[in-house]
Amino acid sequence: MRRFAINLVGSRLGAALLLGLLIGTMPSRALGAERAATIKELQQKLDQSLKAIQALTQRVRDLEARQSGAPVAASPATGESGASSAPEPTRLEAVEQQLEQLETANASRSNDETGMPLHGFADVGAGTHNPINPDLKGFFVGNLDFYLTPRLSDRGRALFEMNTEVGSDGAVGVDLERAQIGYQLADQATLWLGRFHSPYGYVNTALHHGAWINNSVRRPGFLQFEDNGGIVPAHTVGLWLTGAPRIGSGKLQYDAYVGNSQQIVDGVLDMRNAGNAHGNLIVGGRLGYLFNAGAAEGLTLGVHAFSAHIGDNAVPADMTRVLSYGGYAVYDTEQWENIAELYLFDNEDLSGATGTHHSHAGFVQLGYRASWGVPYARYEITSLDQADNYFAAQTTGYSYHRSALGLRFDLSADAAVKLELADTQLTDRSRDQYSEGLMQYAIRF
Amino acid sequence: MNWLLGAVLAALSLPAAASDVYVVCNPGVSLQAGDMLEIFVGEKSFAGSARLAPADNSAAQAAFLEKVMKLDARKYATLWTKKSFRDGANPPPVRATDAEAIAYVRQTPGGCSYVLRAPAAGVIVVAKY
Repeated sequence: MRRFAINLVGSRLGAALLLGLLIGTMPSRALGAERAATIKELQQKLDQSLKAIQALTQRVRDLEARQSGAPVAASPATGESGASSAPEPTRLEAVEQQLEQLETANASRSNDETGMPLHGFADVGAGTHNPINPDLKGFFVGNLDFYLTPRLSDRGRALFEMNTEVGSDGAVGVDLERAQIGYQLADQATLWLGRFHSPYGYVNTALHHGAWINNSVRRPGFLQFEDNGGIVPAHTVGLWLTGAPRIGSGKLQYDAYVGNSQQIVDGVLDMRNAGNAHGNLIVGGRLGYLFNAGAAEGLTLGVHAFSAHIGDNAVPADMTRVLSYGGYAVYDTEQWENIAELYLFDNEDLSGATGTHHSHAGFVQLGYRASWGVPYARYEITSLDQADNYFAAQTTGYSYHRSALGLRFDLSADAAVKLELADTQLTDRSRDQYSEGLMQYAIRF
Repeated sequence: MNWLLGAVLAALSLPAAASDVYVVCNPGVSLQAGDMLEIFVGEKSFAGSARLAPADNSAAQAAFLEKVMKLDARKYATLWTKKSFRDGANPPPVRATDAEAIAYVRQTPGGCSYVLRAPAAGVIVVAKY
């Protein structure tokens, strides 16, 4: 042990000499300020190590002296080591332990996320016609949309969306647009119960009420929400199973849902939040495939369908078995956002003797994500049989076609300005034609 | 001997640790490096029956997004805005430092995060980029 102690002292002196020689023989010009600082830091660390070695050496000597019965020399109080009664390794362990405890405590504090963030979207704008009600002109308030996604247990999920919107009559209304509570069975299957966006096509479940999410100023007219003129049930109150298992290099996206059959109340589709009087159900589904590799990467192709018994509040009430089916294609990449949807209707009159009526609706939208903005073009068309009670009973159940050119500028990560020029031609109930210039300022928060 | 000191100094001054990203997980889960992208965009929530709990580390996020996710911070945020609004999913919580990220992963079953320095015991390194 004595030899070891002497060696320690010897190695201390040797290291000091070695460092001195190295530094002394190095041309000072070769060392920049950064290296000089590093050398200074190394010297400090070496000094600290030497002091620790000195303290250890002294302690070894003391122990050896105790073993041999010789009197113990007083320990030199040299620097930090001498100032502490605990051996250096013990102190280091204690410091590490304290640091770990602090980290754990800090992480625990961070995990205590008792608050729930509130996020949302809002938009305002101006136009030669109101984007929802062409009879109005000037400035308009769009949506103020809040949504909550509370963190639940391992498999629980919830989504609540409250939207304050100005309807086509100019009145402000508040809607609980979505109120769905789910259970995630697996990565590929989530079961939702409540009020959700009916899964058909792409737009209805991808763009929702947040205008900022949408590259265009508005959804296609026939796919608007019910109180904004939409003629397809945008919301369903019921049960929804959804998922997207990996199949090959892509994903198979599936949806199956059942819920209360909607009713047309005063010309507007109502999703019957509290149930309907006859207990009829809407049943539907969607199946799509998303390509994740190769030339088709970003392309989704799918089909969708639903069937429902939908009546109105006329006296006597009309009842129609609505059967809608069709397909959709989306090409969503870094550069492109192209969307096409088609809806065919084979609606059977259950309350009269007018038989089955065939109608169709669809749109194509092409958008290019340039570095400076997103220009887009859209064409939409509906041909709705006016002898079909389902369309005849709806205020906006008329046929039309619309062409639109638009542009989106992202002012920042959370704000966008959109411009659109559109021309709309009504084709059955009236032959009105009007052109629009629209501006929208949309944000997320 | 100059070359030796030069080499030591060069090694000390190189930002070697800053250029590497270590993806770490709680030892209770078994994951592959290829799973990370789906985990951090909310597409994969389970490893077997274990619920995954990813956490972002703001100190290492830029490097992680560039090397692993191939995204910038703006696209990553937009992606989560849409995901959350559409699916009711929540983005990963954010930790401020490597130390916080490691502590979170250590004590969170299913926890995963990423750090810039090789972690000590208590977590498993799923991948190094």
